[in-house]
Amino acid sequence: MTQQLLIPFGNADWAAVAPLTIVALSALVVILADLTLPRALRRPAGIGIGIAGLAVAGIVAFGGWGHPYSAFGGGFVRGGFAIVFEEIVVVAAIFSLLLGYTLGRDDQAGGAIALMLWSASGAMLMAGASNLMTIFLGLELLSLALYCLCAVEPRAGGREAALKYLILSSTASAFLLFGLALLFGATGSVALSALAGPNISSALFDAGCGLFLVGLCFKLSLVPFHVWTPDVYEGAPLPVTAFMSVVTKAGTLAVLARFAFAIAPLPEAQALLTPLWIVAAISMIVGNVAALAQTDIKRLLAYSGIAQLGYIVAALAGTSAQGLRYAIFYLGAYMFMNLGAFAVVGLLSRPGVEGSDLRSFAGLGYRRPLLAAAMTFFLLSLAGLPPTAGFTGKLLILAIDVGSGYVWLAALLVIGTAISAYAYFKIVRTMYARTTGAQIQRPLAPASALPWIGVAVCAIATLILGLYPLAPSDVLPLVK
Amino acid sequence: MIWALVLVPLVAGLLLYALPRSAEMTAKWLGVAISFAAFAVAAFGHAAPDETVRWLQRPFVANFHVGWSGPGYWIVLLLTLTTGCALMVARLPRTRDFVAQMLVLLGAMTGVFVARDLLLFALFWDLMLIPVFIVLVAWSPAKSSATAWKYLIYNLSGGLALLLATAAFGILTGSTDVFGGGAPPGALSNAASFWIFAGFAIAFAIKTPVWPFHTWAPDTYADLPAPMAAVVGAVQSKAGLYGFLVIGAGLLRGPMQQAATLAVVLGLISLLYGGFAALADDDPKRVVAYSSLSHLGLIVLAIFSFDPIAYGGALVYIVAHGLFSAGLFMTIGEVELREDTRLISRLGGLAARNPRLAGGLTIVSLAALGLPGLCGFAGEILILTGLYHAGLTWAALIALVPVVLAAAYMLRLFQGMMHGPEVDDLPEREDMSPLEILALAPLVIAIVLLGVDPGPVTVQVSTFAEGFHLQASAPPNEAARTNLVVGRTP
Repeated sequence: MTQQLLIPFGNADWAAVAPLTIVALSALVVILADLTLPRALRRPAGIGIGIAGLAVAGIVAFGGWGHPYSAFGGGFVRGGFAIVFEEIVVVAAIFSLLLGYTLGRDDQAGGAIALMLWSASGAMLMAGASNLMTIFLGLELLSLALYCLCAVEPRAGGREAALKYLILSSTASAFLLFGLALLFGATGSVALSALAGPNISSALFDAGCGLFLVGLCFKLSLVPFHVWTPDVYEGAPLPVTAFMSVVTKAGTLAVLARFAFAIAPLPEAQALLTPLWIVAAISMIVGNVAALAQTDIKRLLAYSGIAQLGYIVAALAGTSAQGLRYAIFYLGAYMFMNLGAFAVVGLLSRPGVEGSDLRSFAGLGYRRPLLAAAMTFFLLSLAGLPPTAGFTGKLLILAIDVGSGYVWLAALLVIGTAISAYAYFKIVRTMYARTTGAQIQRPLAPASALPWIGVAVCAIATLILGLYPLAPSDVLPLVK
Repeated sequence: MIWALVLVPLVAGLLLYALPRSAEMTAKWLGVAISFAAFAVAAFGHAAPDETVRWLQRPFVANFHVGWSGPGYWIVLLLTLTTGCALMVARLPRTRDFVAQMLVLLGAMTGVFVARDLLLFALFWDLMLIPVFIVLVAWSPAKSSATAWKYLIYNLSGGLALLLATAAFGILTGSTDVFGGGAPPGALSNAASFWIFAGFAIAFAIKTPVWPFHTWAPDTYADLPAPMAAVVGAVQSKAGLYGFLVIGAGLLRGPMQQAATLAVVLGLISLLYGGFAALADDDPKRVVAYSSLSHLGLIVLAIFSFDPIAYGGALVYIVAHGLFSAGLFMTIGEVELREDTRLISRLGGLAARNPRLAGGLTIVSLAALGLPGLCGFAGEILILTGLYHAGLTWAALIALVPVVLAAAYMLRLFQGMMHGPEVDDLPEREDMSPLEILALAPLVIAIVLLGVDPGPVTVQVSTFAEGFHLQASAPPNEAARTNLVVGRTP
């Protein structure tokens, strides 16, 4: 009996989780540094250690390239498309940390950075999670840290955002957990691979799938499970918003993709998944329509993110390997253009005041032409205009949807994009319009020049992903 | 070399922002130099081979493939010439930024007309919206930017329809690099090719514009500063016609023929509506916009007649309309700079004070109303002959009405601004400077040359048309007949 309780895992299993372990451990180092270093050094040290840890994790994760391995008895997958999601989480977390100069007071910075790293390691766990237990473990690790991060600044909307996020997200987790329990009941196994087994179809199974998908849609903030998103994005500090907008989505999307592909062989898979595509279609339209009226960039990007996630999920319709590649491609593109826009907002911020109000963009085209040009470029990409990654990504999704017979999704995507143009070009107009002279604020020194790195890298990546002669299929390994 | 025509203006436009804000003259002459250099390179580089760089392999093949087509060549010449001329006389605040946007527009539009891959075409098609939007927002006289929104939403909707159609074309045929020996379009089913054509047609009809998609155009032309109005009015509107000619007639003949009756009717409505609206408007820029609607409606008729003579006429008229509408926008801009207004009702008797300006406006408006010997006539007569030849006699007869209307509204515009009693409270300013004459001269020379001998342009289109088997059903002596009409010996 005691023999069986010994841990039966070898080095390969531990190597599989090495990247996320490194990220989690570097969070501990950040906290130690925070305890020992003088106050002025704590924040730079925290950001430095965090970025270094993430970078090392990224390199280690890349080592799994071409060596797929199912670790912990099928609980966690190393290699395959998990790597791409891990890298996306790592890069997004690094960009968020570059904005970290505006995060909380100096004595809170260490803790906040550590929480962000733990949250990132949760997302990385989700990226490779291949049984119901690890999925939930990753999701909770990701979310619990975020609840605290939302409230890290004593701002008016901060507590409200945190509380709203906590309550709604916990409800969604409960749905998801109940769904997992039902799925376990129906299949007798926690492994995702058991979902498509023979003779498991039952009302229990269908209900489990439904509840599970509801939970995931909430985390992806797809309509109608999106109402928390704008308030939480607006209330949370800028780096946290930037982090949430990509990292949570990447982790959840990995789970969604794995789940969708796991049940795809079932005869009733179409019936089970069609609501998901409909939800994606509604998100494209509702997200973009709601974005039209926003005057706060964070809220605008929240609604825009709802629509963008709709596009990404639409790429999965038809559950083809090619579609997954394009979903991942678009997620990568979304990461760069979205975080680039957040970095621009970061450069317009100073301690205590975030530059997310639309008015802080007035006349930017004349005050800071380079920054305005970069913001225009990111907005073009979000709107799907050339020569950007957003254009190519959208084209690929349109092509795969038409190719797999989901022409209605492609048509709705086009309509949603047309609507979204007003929301994004409203910012372009504010930056370049001549008549807003009275509202122009004095040029402010940004809290830090660090976000410039984010702006530059994101702009170059957005351009290259859009034009470089590299088919996504050349780089992205197949689904397994 | 062809890529340089696209990339040099684009990159130079962005780099202009690195100049100090006060270097307005440097920026302006740099812009002029780049435009005319592009003109020279294009004019002498006619035989340049296609250039291809790999882009996508999956889900379909797409390449960065540029090269010359018959219509594309002439429109790029028109584009570079009008951009250079318009920039020479650009006088407006923040010149550096304006020149930068003009150069970006030049690069993007050159890309549209040299792209030989559908996806690349769609890329440049969307790209050329952006500088116009920014200029409308930053230099528009109105506060609300309503014009900018109208322009953007109309044209972007078209652009997205185009993108969807391109994606569908690519995924269904396996390649969008169709002009370089890619997949034959025959691989499409009838229904698919119909819907794909519908997507393209929406984009082209909005851009041209064709009634009822035209409402953005008069506002846009009226609000754009004169130099950019000249380029957008002269060349950007041609992108739609170019699309019908090259993509529609070249790739999707079947559905295009199905839609011919509808298109001919819409073209006729545009012709008449534009003509009558131009008679009534007080703003000469809007008059030119409505006259464009009318003139370009005639070209739509020509394209949907599938007649080789009309095709020759269509290309001649595309270039001709570009030349005289650019000239009109520029001279109207000169008047506005001098008198601080451009409304016909507020102006009068300018000819006595500014005879050289009146002379310039005379030539371009005569070309616009189709005086024989100038370029407008050459295009009109070829198109009308072609329509008759194609059996569309009724359409040709209706199309004669706006030709008469053109004389009425152009003379009304000229008379209202230049003749009649002098208006006393208008500021008295210098006549055209030598520089302004120099800027208008290339357009006037081209107007006369094309009017006297449109042959080179029609020959271009007939070789181009043969390339797409346009004449498959026509009698074998068709090319000879085309030459007969334009007065050339074969």
